[in-house]
Amino acid sequence: MIRILRWSALTVAAGIAACSGKAELDPAQQSGAAPDLPAARNFLLPPMQVPDKAGWKEGQTPKVAEGLRIEKIAGDLMHPRQLYTLPNGDVLVVESNSPGSEAVTTPKQLIAGKIKNLSGKGAKGGDRVTLLRRNAMGSWDKHVFLEHLHSPFGVQLIGDAIYVANTDAIRKYPYQSGATEISDPGVEFADLPGTVNHHWTKALLASPDGTKLYVGVGSNSNVGENGLEVEYRRAVVLEVDVASRGSRIYASGIRNPTGLGWEPVTGKLWAIANERDEIGADLVPDYLTSVQDGAFYGWPYSYYGANVDERVYPQRPDLVAKAVKPDYALGSHVAALGVLFSDHNALPEKYQGGAFVAEHGSWDRSPLSGYAVVHVAFTDGKPVGAPQTLVSAFYSDDEKHLFGAPVGLAQDKDGALLVADDVGDVVWRVSKL
Amino acid sequence: MASTSMSRRFAFAVYGLLNPIPFGMFVAALIFDITYLRTGEVLWNKAAAWLIPLALIFAIIPRFINLGMVWANRRVIVSGVDKLDFWLNLVAVIVAIFNAFVHSRDAYASMPTGVWLSAVTVALLALGNVLIAARASAEARP
Repeated sequence: MIRILRWSALTVAAGIAACSGKAELDPAQQSGAAPDLPAARNFLLPPMQVPDKAGWKEGQTPKVAEGLRIEKIAGDLMHPRQLYTLPNGDVLVVESNSPGSEAVTTPKQLIAGKIKNLSGKGAKGGDRVTLLRRNAMGSWDKHVFLEHLHSPFGVQLIGDAIYVANTDAIRKYPYQSGATEISDPGVEFADLPGTVNHHWTKALLASPDGTKLYVGVGSNSNVGENGLEVEYRRAVVLEVDVASRGSRIYASGIRNPTGLGWEPVTGKLWAIANERDEIGADLVPDYLTSVQDGAFYGWPYSYYGANVDERVYPQRPDLVAKAVKPDYALGSHVAALGVLFSDHNALPEKYQGGAFVAEHGSWDRSPLSGYAVVHVAFTDGKPVGAPQTLVSAFYSDDEKHLFGAPVGLAQDKDGALLVADDVGDVVWRVSKL
Repeated sequence: MASTSMSRRFAFAVYGLLNPIPFGMFVAALIFDITYLRTGEVLWNKAAAWLIPLALIFAIIPRFINLGMVWANRRVIVSGVDKLDFWLNLVAVIVAIFNAFVHSRDAYASMPTGVWLSAVTVALLALGNVLIAARASAEARP
């Protein structure tokens, strides 16, 4: 009797464990224009590995590649997510996290939410912008620049106005060069999709001529499990006309476009995007892609062109046929959250041109992937080769403890690379040794 | 002796109170699964995803009482029907545990496996209930 009960318990445990597959592909094998894509699997328990938040010890820093040095320029921030350099060299730090407005509607959300929060990625955001200014001594002073925001992410300056993308609206504030504080309440400039906010970040990028704002709006689910009716204007890049404040869908089917940038050689709009989870440790690679006007990139119906996702009902072969393949895979589950195109900077020669990408790091993969800042080289406006890691060691060697996680990127006035770290609550500065 | 008898009565009362709950929930989950399979409306998938683990939680206490009643009962001769009912329930619980994980998948990934597992769970429990009822009616005959 007891033996049979024990056997039953073991069968259940083994059956569930056997279904959580470890990654078999190297992240480098899943980068570039044609990543290896294994067959999709459904799991009883998806691959999951989340290091516990440890934070940085005094004097401890991430590791940088040869020829580089790293220093902490600001600490004790409240979940710093995005960075933006103003023309006078001041650096804005957007301190933010999810508005927490997504209802718990499944048992999985209840459990997964608790597990993911162990890493410190769920810590409360500051809902404010801090300004960093380098003083004569070479260190950086902190000023509270803008407060009472609502899960802000993107920030852009056009002329004498600062645009902040809250999770539900773009707000516009007057700005004078040299200001260290904005007390004006600002105005709501344009409405953004703000229901549910499963993916809450709204990346923001102004066109070089200042006539348009591009907004990255993430999906309201992993793959449509909250119903397709909540995906209106979701998983898209919106184009907002600055003069009229009207907006349209510029490109769609991009699951979570977390960062936007202008490729300097071609002048084309590019985006980083986070792809879907729970069909394998090696699926689906996050990507860096040019964003074509009017194009559809597959989500939720397919990925990398015509790779159909069978979890969506009803299926849409008509849309799958239209799906554009992204240009460049970054690796599965790396969670790219920051992108910076840099034509000229003060880093060594190999980092001139191309794009820096901050990878916030995986939860749906074992071993861990991401948790690094990488550089993707470009030739003639197209990415080439494998991503090269610049900044790493955000977690302990045994993958159990998490010190920090890179998010937003910016280049300061002197051409150094700035990295926001929302687990360590730090801004790092990477420069030439 | 009197206290043992009291605790036996209490156990039977708790069993009678809690044992029907999981069956009703599994039946509802099966209905919702069929609805989701046919419509793709995510409400039904999510509703079934709650019902299955909740049914399993409600099943814990009555299943342990049943374990004692069937296998550790020295006062009454336990019939083959009771033993069969125990095994049917045990298999149903194992199937439902797998089903709870299947229902944690996103959107249509729970289908059609989820609806089959729900149907098997309900069929096993229904068979046990019918056998117990049939024996009760046979015993009640004059």
